[in-house]
Amino acid sequence: MRKRTLKRGLTGFWWFTLAFLYLPLAVVMLFSFNASNSAARFTGFSLRWYERLLGNEEILSAFANSMVLAIVSSVIALGVGCLIGYGMYRHRHRKLGWLIVLIYLPIVLPDIVFGISEMAFFVQIHRLTGLFQPGLGTMIIAHVTFQIPFVALIVYSRFVGLDPTLFEAAKDLYATPAKRVIHFMLPTIKPALISAFFLSFTLSVDDFVISFFTAGPESATLPIYIWGAIKKGVSPEINAIATLMIGAVAIAAIISLMFSRRRQA
Amino acid sequence: MNDTLTLDAAEASRAEAAESTREASSIEMQGLHKRFGRDTVALDGVALVIEAGEFFTLLGPSGCGKTTLLRILAGLEEADDGRLAIGGRDVTEVPPHKRSVNTVFQSYALFPHLSVRENLAFGLKMRGMPPGEREARVAKIAEFIKLGDLVDRRVDQLSGGQRQRIALARALVNEPDVLLLDEPLSALDAGLRSQLQVELLRVQKRLGMTFVFVTHDQQEAMVMSDRIAVLNGGVIQQVGPPREVYEHPANAFVARFMGHDNLYPISARDGDRLTTSLGELTAEAAGEGDLLLIRPETLDLLPGEQAGENQLPATVSERLYRGSHAEYRLEVGETTLQATLNNRGRRLPEVGDRVTVKVAPEDLVTLSE
Repeated sequence: MRKRTLKRGLTGFWWFTLAFLYLPLAVVMLFSFNASNSAARFTGFSLRWYERLLGNEEILSAFANSMVLAIVSSVIALGVGCLIGYGMYRHRHRKLGWLIVLIYLPIVLPDIVFGISEMAFFVQIHRLTGLFQPGLGTMIIAHVTFQIPFVALIVYSRFVGLDPTLFEAAKDLYATPAKRVIHFMLPTIKPALISAFFLSFTLSVDDFVISFFTAGPESATLPIYIWGAIKKGVSPEINAIATLMIGAVAIAAIISLMFSRRRQA
Repeated sequence: MNDTLTLDAAEASRAEAAESTREASSIEMQGLHKRFGRDTVALDGVALVIEAGEFFTLLGPSGCGKTTLLRILAGLEEADDGRLAIGGRDVTEVPPHKRSVNTVFQSYALFPHLSVRENLAFGLKMRGMPPGEREARVAKIAEFIKLGDLVDRRVDQLSGGQRQRIALARALVNEPDVLLLDEPLSALDAGLRSQLQVELLRVQKRLGMTFVFVTHDQQEAMVMSDRIAVLNGGVIQQVGPPREVYEHPANAFVARFMGHDNLYPISARDGDRLTTSLGELTAEAAGEGDLLLIRPETLDLLPGEQAGENQLPATVSERLYRGSHAEYRLEVGETTLQATLNNRGRRLPEVGDRVTVKVAPEDLVTLSE
């Protein structure tokens, strides 16, 4: 009997936690469909805020910036992170402790510290060379730096999960080094690469702090736009953007998760 | 059962004519040395010639260097010193993907991202064989190994025994000069294991291909091999056909590894008369050496005490009844002796019985420590 009560209690706690996490999101999504611009009362269903959104040049350009930034940075991070992940696997028997820590440090470093450092660094380089004008370019570099550890970790763990004899079997079966990459390694880690790409993508779309410090005047992304717009008060338009972002990130996260599950198979 | 065997044999001889158009390759090893790190010596000067078409086994305990030697043959490991030639061609520095040698790995190493069919075709594809030809070769090998509908499965749907056969087919389909097998049966249960031993032997005889087989199981080595090399500490202890290695081990290590326990230091020797802690025994053409080996199955047990040449009084201290035979532990004075007796309907002596152990002079073998 007591066991059952405990079980019920735990189930209740689980639902409470879920509600705590997702109710605020639900509120934002609900009010994005509000007919009036009240943030307190829901007066009826309407798509007017979404229409307004599509007519707003500033928002559309922020959206485009977000997409370019997320896709370009994810692709670059995938390439570099994949090589690092493989390198870590290849040399896993050596003592690489401090190197690994250096690669993972960006994951635990506070974003704000990271963002300020990047900004200071770019400003210095810009002063000296004229390169690295703040804008999408600097943002891409900054995003790549924080995406790389995640990609490297995912790729590395995929390799570690493989039977090491597979690499030898590929050699034994006449595969040249290039063919081993094309016909064995890349197909084998493909699910990990897809997973890593979408994880990088969501990290980039989500990021505000680092983007904020490295952006130029023309390169506002959606989070930066929202932050600017919110100073004038939360409009239902913001709710609509937020809802779209929740949708996009959820899809990317689900794809990433699906493929990270498949890695185990 | 008998019918299928005869059929198989007929089919085998027909296939033999068709398959053995390819010439098998010999392997020559000279002074192979391999060291891991500073202190681990894996191979310490291995020189060995494996004849073309031989089923050759590298036998030894774990860490004896047998797997290292196999990996050097495959090209997966480089020898620190020494030469290696396959089919008369020096391949010491040839990388694995350029050697006409294929391996059946202990873990099978089937590619998880490919279907069984794609696994089988992998080597041919890497060598640039056109798809049509590839499929024909895969179909041929699938029939030869009797894979049936296994080729259409996914790798993760296969059992251990099935994986083993796919791994074998994936290696054989390339028609290599030499096939290497790294303990390919060690992960399987006993029944499946002996079944696959027979199958492997059948495949090897039909193809006439040179097989190099690594195992730590001396029974398996004796069943399978034309010749066996026993390794210990990176050094070859003995090379020879199974009967020679089992019946005339070159030294105490080989004898013990082949399962012999009855080894006795010879304290005095007068021609064929040998004195050991068992007593005086007469050996015929026993050869050199200061250790006497008595194989348990050469012993006969007579009831009661009977005097005579090469007859020793003993007491039964232990008996293990195994159905087809019984294993005995006997005390001859202070010395222990193992004996194996076939169960042929006669009375099997029991624990505590006084018996007489009898051994024929020609069954006694001497060897060096």
